[in-house]
Amino acid sequence: MALDPKFVGRAYGPFTYEIGREKLREFSLLLGGSVPSAGTFGEPPAHVSPLLYSREAAQAGPYGDIIAFPSFAVVFAIRPFSAAIADPELGVDRVRLVHGEQELEFLGVMRPGDVLTTTGHITELYRKAGMDFLVVTTETRNASGEPVVRGVWTAVIRSA
Amino acid sequence: MARTFQVGDTFTHVRQCDRLRPVYYAGASGDYNPIHLDPEVGRLAGFNGVILQGLCTLGWAVEAVAVFVGDPGLVRRVKVRFSRPVLPEDTVTFQGRVTAVADGRMSTEVTATNQRGEPVLRGAVVETSLG
Repeated sequence: MALDPKFVGRAYGPFTYEIGREKLREFSLLLGGSVPSAGTFGEPPAHVSPLLYSREAAQAGPYGDIIAFPSFAVVFAIRPFSAAIADPELGVDRVRLVHGEQELEFLGVMRPGDVLTTTGHITELYRKAGMDFLVVTTETRNASGEPVVRGVWTAVIRSA
Repeated sequence: MARTFQVGDTFTHVRQCDRLRPVYYAGASGDYNPIHLDPEVGRLAGFNGVILQGLCTLGWAVEAVAVFVGDPGLVRRVKVRFSRPVLPEDTVTFQGRVTAVADGRMSTEVTATNQRGEPVLRGAVVETSLG
């Protein structure tokens, strides 16, 4: 059954997230291919930039502290998309859902201690080739109100 | 000394999806969807077991470009379509090509294919600042 286009414009959030230093290290190293063992994130693979996990290297670099790997943004910016998918009134069949497309725009680097607030809303709901498409657009701002990340999240719900 | 980039420059980045990578990515990202963790759920969804999170593949495409430019903080935008899931024990080859360099900004097209030559991303574009 097609999703009802009357839900275009429905808003989710705000969701607030405070960035922690060890979480940034964990994300960067595990995405980068490290193999964790008990209590550690594992050895940094050679290709992973020390700007992502070494405070000493980062202090000598352009940002003064470690920064988030850009796609770390998905950890918090996904919240309105997840909320839309779980919205009982919208009625998405999660068994048939796949993540179809993703766009992220980074307007600034993300650092430990940043408090970021994400809001989002449904921007498109349409049916194509027998599948439903749900598009959620998000915006994440820092504590000063400046935009840091924008996202466009597309779910495809396959037919039964 | 700043490195210079030109339209047509290419680079390659190869990543292995080891057997537990979906578990590691789940912990790091918070994406605990059972399709990435429970082989039975993966089979119900029509796969041979679990599949890697698409956003992990997106992260690797960004990583490919971040390694090429030498600073992950310079990445400004990424856009991808997920065309096929990455499976445990797959090897994914990312091939990038610079398509535009202007006004301190660079645009790169990235293809990602598994060891069977099948594309796992389509139309992937990553844009960076040049410092």
